[in-house]
Amino acid sequence: MNLTRRTILAALSATALLAPLVAAAQELPRNVRLVIGSNSTGGDTYQNAAIVADALAEKLGINIKVDAVGPTEAFKAVGRDSRGTTLMIHHDQSYLGYLYGVRGYEDIFASYKIGPTVSVNPGNAYLVPKDSPYKSMADILAAAEKGERVRVAIQPGGVSEIGFSAMKYAAHAAAPGSEANLVPVNTGSQSDKDQALFDNLADVINGSIQSNEQYTQLPADDQKAMRFVWITARPETLRKAPEAGMGAMTRDDMLKFASPETSVPLGEGKDFTFDKVFFFIYNKDMDPAIVAQIDEALAEVYADGKIEKRLTDAFFIPDFRPSDEARAHLQEKNDTYARIISEIGEPSN
Amino acid sequence: MEVLHVITPLFVSLIVGGTFVGIVFGAIPGMTATMAVAVCLPLTYSLGLENGLALLLGLYVGGISGGLVPAILLGIPGTPSSITTCFDGYPMCQRGDGEKALRIGIISSLVGGLISLAVLYFFAPTLADFAIQFSYVEKFLIILFALTVMAALSSDMLIGIFSGFLGLLVSLIGTYGIESGGNGEIRLIPPGLEYWLESGFALLPVLIGLFGLAAILEEAEIGVPESQSARNVRLGAGTGFSLSVFRGQIGNLIRSSGIGTFVGILPGVGGSAASILSYTATKALSSHPETFGKGEPAGVIASESGNNGLTGGALVPLMSLGIPGDSTTALLIGAFTLQGIQVGPLFIGQNPVTWDAIIVAMLIANLAMFAMMYFAIRYIARVVSVPKPILFPIILMMCVIGAYTINYGIMFDVWSLLIFGLFGWLAQKLRLEIAPFIIGFILGPSAEIYFVKSLESFGDLTIFFTKSWIAVVLWILIAASVAGSVLLARKTRRAREGR
Repeated sequence: MNLTRRTILAALSATALLAPLVAAAQELPRNVRLVIGSNSTGGDTYQNAAIVADALAEKLGINIKVDAVGPTEAFKAVGRDSRGTTLMIHHDQSYLGYLYGVRGYEDIFASYKIGPTVSVNPGNAYLVPKDSPYKSMADILAAAEKGERVRVAIQPGGVSEIGFSAMKYAAHAAAPGSEANLVPVNTGSQSDKDQALFDNLADVINGSIQSNEQYTQLPADDQKAMRFVWITARPETLRKAPEAGMGAMTRDDMLKFASPETSVPLGEGKDFTFDKVFFFIYNKDMDPAIVAQIDEALAEVYADGKIEKRLTDAFFIPDFRPSDEARAHLQEKNDTYARIISEIGEPSN
Repeated sequence: MEVLHVITPLFVSLIVGGTFVGIVFGAIPGMTATMAVAVCLPLTYSLGLENGLALLLGLYVGGISGGLVPAILLGIPGTPSSITTCFDGYPMCQRGDGEKALRIGIISSLVGGLISLAVLYFFAPTLADFAIQFSYVEKFLIILFALTVMAALSSDMLIGIFSGFLGLLVSLIGTYGIESGGNGEIRLIPPGLEYWLESGFALLPVLIGLFGLAAILEEAEIGVPESQSARNVRLGAGTGFSLSVFRGQIGNLIRSSGIGTFVGILPGVGGSAASILSYTATKALSSHPETFGKGEPAGVIASESGNNGLTGGALVPLMSLGIPGDSTTALLIGAFTLQGIQVGPLFIGQNPVTWDAIIVAMLIANLAMFAMMYFAIRYIARVVSVPKPILFPIILMMCVIGAYTINYGIMFDVWSLLIFGLFGWLAQKLRLEIAPFIIGFILGPSAEIYFVKSLESFGDLTIFFTKSWIAVVLWILIAASVAGSVLLARKTRRAREGR
């Protein structure tokens, strides 16, 4: 067989054309779109995604663009693309939305592939007005038991509601029927929840250390003054936060509002806890080689330590778990919360 | 003055550069200040807090201001907050006063920006305390007041009201989102279209479809005579600009800047409401309301001072409560948290240098915006001299790109652009009014949320009248606006009958 220049050129061209396709089946493409389950580019999901995308892109020498398209469009986008061109980062809302029966949420464990966890936001909290008669979660549960109506401002159907569901679960365990005295006030954004407290439309609000800590420093006669009654994060998560904490609240102060010092019982001697975990979600059919590639790259990124500083600066707790471990961890959380939600009679799929 | 250490050549360059990029984003239909800030947000981590904020605030001021350019020259609002600038700016341009309208708009923008900045600096914590007196009820009444402009924006009041309510109805298509406090259920979607319509129609594609694509379709239908193709509108054919145009408008400038600032202070009411409210108030108080919508300079003044008044106002709740006043300032929170800085009621006291740097950055951004736009007007205004066969394909391409990128690459937004472009073209034939339609569309979701939440929170309709003295004042304004519209409609009808 004579190898003419034309044959060689044709062979080289074919190789050049096919190479990216072959490579695409084994590793991340050169340009990746990272969609997030939030429309906000100022929120914690975007911040986590931006920090992780920067580090991962640098490690792999690729481009990663973060797009804040919101949960509905993000699930659609990642569901359409098994090549690894579209990845998703979201948090516990992605399975809690399904457990609460929110439209647009599917069972992520069945419909998608779970990727690695990247960090925890330990800030999820509940607050009362500073001059509230309720000084603690024990007071709130006792009030419900005595028949007092306690109004709790939440955003229904997910992260904001799960702590409220746990309150109801604990109230029910202490005195069946008293959970009916814990009444949800459905609001939207954090400012709506704060406003509900200012307007005396709620007795307790869901909030966060990051958003609400400064309000706790105001004098009691200020209409805006608040007090923490509960921080839902696990104590072992909070212990990884900077010792100085946030604002005037040290890490030790935070621990006083978390389990075991502040207890919302889950039964069997356990307290309810909730860490807001951020993790990757992939198309169900994405090549396992790409999953492994991301796991390995992130393991090296976290071992390097630079990303930990960026996450800690933004008051997140670095929490890398490779895909398999992440899946098991999130599945366990899912099962625990599914039990709570179903036992208090809320929708559960 | 520790802040002087912050004002470095890099700090100033970032503001000026950010303002320029913001103006470009604002001037391209479909691209917004929010988008400009979102694109540059990740850069702030490496720039540090003050320099990062300098860039973002430049983008913010530039982005809000740039929207007036296409609104006046092309009749397409560059951003939702410049919607009312179209109403009078574009007719001015059509009669040859484009350059004059631009100068009026730019000066009004500067005044609005500076007044709101002064309010921000001197009264931020006090105004934030006042803002929290506004519950769902008062916010609903503010939106209702803005909606009253629908009746006054068209030649036939009833058609205007019908068009406005149609816009309101269309805005409610989709999911009653839980992120707004809704129940997460869908409504008003024809069977089989749930997949496409569950997120509803996005504002920007609808806006540029109705104002951009529809106008191009109309022009295409008429055709472009050879003699007119080279010159779309004669530049400088109008009356020319002098500062005397502001004579008798000082009250308008101050009132509209104040309204814009105040709307910015109220979290959640939305930036578009600022210019709509300013426009509504100015028209209601005018001795010649019939000239509005036909090229009235006071309309451009009201709209532009109102929407730039928003810039300082929206920073009030951000800096005093940690709550963003609009979608763009929501992104600024990201810049703070990326640096580990808390924003909340103690921010100003605990971070005096950063606070002063923000004020200085806003001041420089406003002055840079004015300098860049005012002295570039002659060049900017030449866009109307571009022959339509060249200009329209470029506009169409920008509209499609803007629609596709506004929600980070959702193809349905391009379909929305086309659907509403066709709707806008057909609406003219059906005598429907586009301006009230779009105002209904913009304000509909807020009206719904605040109305439903008011009832959920307080029980019955009487609360809208009894909640507070603020509610009573708002009802008086609403009644005055409606009465003004009715009187204007009668006057117009009599004038027609007289002819």
